[in-house]
Amino acid sequence: MTLWAVVIAGAAAVVFAAAMLWSRSLYNGAVCLLVVLLQTALIYVLRGAPLLGLLQVMIYAGAVMVLTVITIMASGGASAAERFADFALPRGLAALGVAAVAAEIALTLAGAPPRAAAVAAPGLTAAFGGDLFHSYALATEAVTLLMFLAALAVLPDKEPS
Amino acid sequence: MNAAVWATAGALFALGLAAVVLRRQMLAMLLGVELMVAAADLALVHGACRFSDPEALAAVAVILAVAAAEAVVGLSLILKVLRSGRGLDAGDLTELRG
Repeated sequence: MTLWAVVIAGAAAVVFAAAMLWSRSLYNGAVCLLVVLLQTALIYVLRGAPLLGLLQVMIYAGAVMVLTVITIMASGGASAAERFADFALPRGLAALGVAAVAAEIALTLAGAPPRAAAVAAPGLTAAFGGDLFHSYALATEAVTLLMFLAALAVLPDKEPS
Repeated sequence: MNAAVWATAGALFALGLAAVVLRRQMLAMLLGVELMVAAADLALVHGACRFSDPEALAAVAVILAVAAAEAVVGLSLILKVLRSGRGLDAGDLTELRG
């Protein structure tokens, strides 16, 4: 059952990625990418990496997609009403996404308890944390510094006097 | 499951690459880059779980953070270009062409 949930999540991700490619609207493209990221996060969880699935949802689906949508809103030359009218996802695509999520939930619940997938490789998450904060501690600190510097990039320039 | 995940990762990477190559809008190109990063992450996570390799999972966590920083820098660059009045089309940026 978990296999079929992974297959459906993968197929939905590919369909929405194709929709992102062919969508003329940037809003629709961003929403399609959001669905792709959520589906891949579900695959992470089903494959036994729940922490990375959670990180994917928080970092990508949360922070990065919000930034992207704000940038799209700031970049639009049209009126706000026209831009939000453009936001409507095609009904067929939206129905497909809802059906895929419903099928994934049903298959996951019917096959095995959700925790069974999460403990597919016992100790892997603990070893992952150990590696991140021991073997790769310097890389982790460097990435933290990089994210801090990236946050400085959004600060507005000082206007020349 | 193995073939399904590899096929998904390959298809997502190809579609992201196509978005970068075929689209002219800078935001759409950035979304394509994000799609390629997500495909690479998916392949790494699948391989890590298959071979019980925690180092690959650590690499994915680092890649996620670097990709987030890259997205922030890319979006601020796009906003800066927009504020300079040059539009969203990548073809309009010709200053660095020799």
